Amino acid sequence: MEQFLFSLMNGVIYGLLLFMVSAGLTLIFGMMGVLNFAHASFYMLGAYFAYTLQGMLGFWLAVIVSPLLVGLIGVVVERYFLRRVHRHGHAHELLLTFGLSFIIAESIKLFYGNYPVDYRMPPSLDFAAFSMGATQYPAYRLLMGGIAIAMFIVIYLLLTRTRVGIVVRSAIHRPSMAEALGHNVPLVFMGVFGAGAALAGLAGAVAGAFYTTNPNMALELGVMVFVVVVVGGLGSLVGAMLASLLIGIMTSMAVAVDSSLADLLALFGAGEWARNVGGLMTLNLSSLAATLPFALMLLILLVRPGGLMGEKG
Amino acid sequence: MKKLTLSGVAIATVLAACTMTVSAAPVKIGLVETLSGPQASSGQSYRTAVRYVVEQINAAGGWNGEPIQLLEYDNQGGPSGAADKLKAAAADGVQIVVQGASSAIGGQITEDIRKHNLRNPGKEMLYINMGAEALELTGEKCNFYHFRFAGNAQVRTKSLVEGMKKANALGTKVYAINQNYSWGQDMQQAILDNQKLGGYTVVDKTLHDVNKIQDFSPYVAKIAASGADTVITGNWSNDLLLLMKASKSAGLKARYGTVYLDQPGNLANAGELAEGNFVAHTFNAEAGNEDAEQFVQDYLAKTGHIPVFVEPQTVYGMKMVAEALTHTPPKDGALDVNALAKTLETTRLSTPMGEMSMRASDHQAQLPMVVSSVSRDAKHKVDGTDMGFKPVLLLSAEQASTPVQSSCKMKRPD
Repeated sequence: MEQFLFSLMNGVIYGLLLFMVSAGLTLIFGMMGVLNFAHASFYMLGAYFAYTLQGMLGFWLAVIVSPLLVGLIGVVVERYFLRRVHRHGHAHELLLTFGLSFIIAESIKLFYGNYPVDYRMPPSLDFAAFSMGATQYPAYRLLMGGIAIAMFIVIYLLLTRTRVGIVVRSAIHRPSMAEALGHNVPLVFMGVFGAGAALAGLAGAVAGAFYTTNPNMALELGVMVFVVVVVGGLGSLVGAMLASLLIGIMTSMAVAVDSSLADLLALFGAGEWARNVGGLMTLNLSSLAATLPFALMLLILLVRPGGLMGEKG
Repeated sequence: MKKLTLSGVAIATVLAACTMTVSAAPVKIGLVETLSGPQASSGQSYRTAVRYVVEQINAAGGWNGEPIQLLEYDNQGGPSGAADKLKAAAADGVQIVVQGASSAIGGQITEDIRKHNLRNPGKEMLYINMGAEALELTGEKCNFYHFRFAGNAQVRTKSLVEGMKKANALGTKVYAINQNYSWGQDMQQAILDNQKLGGYTVVDKTLHDVNKIQDFSPYVAKIAASGADTVITGNWSNDLLLLMKASKSAGLKARYGTVYLDQPGNLANAGELAEGNFVAHTFNAEAGNEDAEQFVQDYLAKTGHIPVFVEPQTVYGMKMVAEALTHTPPKDGALDVNALAKTLETTRLSTPMGEMSMRASDHQAQLPMVVSSVSRDAKHKVDGTDMGFKPVLLLSAEQASTPVQSSCKMKRPD
């Protein structure tokens, strides 16, 4: 029971972290119609900026300032790079962000080296929130989850309850009509791109201290974030939230399951046969935990190509 | 017409270059290593160490009156890249191939070299393996032209268990958590095999995806539920760091026995939580004789940092090769790879950690091992922290050695 509760909480918090990064990505996709390959790089930049600023500003200010810096970089990327290639079509935008992700990763290696840097949470936050049995639950994880939930509520209210939200949503769905009505659509694009990058930067600044801050962190998280966006439905914020939680809980729970397909088939009396077949049949679910989200993505693409909450399906 | 002359010039240059190499025949060492991409950091460690020794060989006059040439190839982190670069190296006349990072790449190289040598008698190549530790390379894939100068899962685990037992840090309930590929599977098997020696039982075991997991807390919850007091893992890089961090934040009291805790950046990033945990490695200056300190200082002067992680084993592996080269006379002015391989089998080298040799039956180096724990009393602090590796137990090559695998059927040239 303890383990079940812990697994559930671990999964939810990890899912919320995934949401923090994928929220920006899904908004940008809805807007540009192009997956931003450099998005996870913004996550990495957030962590490295916070690590650098931490010495000067202290942990909390660094966590606030570094997303702003990342957002600024996002604005520059949109204004001076993406906007120029926009008229050449989606393929060019995609290639541009793809190249950008390499440039960011290599620059990080150039300045900070190949190994993980010493970015850790401040000792004042390094305590257990509560404990159950032999295991403690770190308070910092709850903090990460709290930040993600606050972020979700703010973005959701901003998009659905304010004038800015109306303009943004209309610019995303019908850019030419919004422009005809006198709204500055390029400015909206720039703003959304910058805000999306800043959200990823915030996730990086917060999570980098808990996990590790290294030049591969973009790569490690990047793939999972794409899976979230595809499963949730491209462009849907609520979908991204659902998919993040689903993937987080699924990977976390699967770790505890030490049974294989053969055990399942044993219920129908075919266990012996399955064990003789071997291979995939005898592979424990727990050793596949990190691969499950990809299987889920495949399933979603087969039965509901638009994603859980997708509108364009 | 202009084109013609140009290509004429080109052909002439190439011909000239060819004849030059034929007459001079310097020994070419090809480093086929991961020099770019996510895993570049370990490839670059091997490169630094190989360069260090090649410089020494050349400063001492090279081989047969010629400096040795070191050619570097970037395998881009995968077996397919390695296969391509190996072909390039063969075309460049490389006779000695050096590689270390990744057993998957090692497996590709040893097979490709075996085939190359079958097809090109008289033009054999040698594979000097500095760190691909999968057992199959000295087991079912064992090959006369492959030499491993690193440990392997069995050697590492045996040493680790002995060392932790001596330090009274090895509990009775061990959890084995490893990466799901050849190396991790070997480690898991080795941890199971050493139960009797260490007087522990493996309460549970996990194999997980390699370098894909961000959040290890579900695994830590599983370890906690198993009631283990010791965790033994062959994990490296992020998989090790994240596992230990998750374990610390869950307040898990288990002690860690590791193989790769000495990778640069690990201590800095892990901080205090690394303290008191163990690593089985091939070198620790504090455990060695007076030459150890001299080596550390010389390496620091030449490369800018003290030798850590895979660098010492690579340096001493290359020194074995250098030693064997000095005892291999040139044949028709060139290096006879078969003769070098046979000399290597009988070469002995005294290192600061003890004597090192090459076992002829499976080409697994017999090398001393050290078990160290992370401590503030260590002589050499690493990563700019106030912690370093304090030796607990030094095992001689004989003590650390594990038997030849029965699956190794080596075909020797006549």
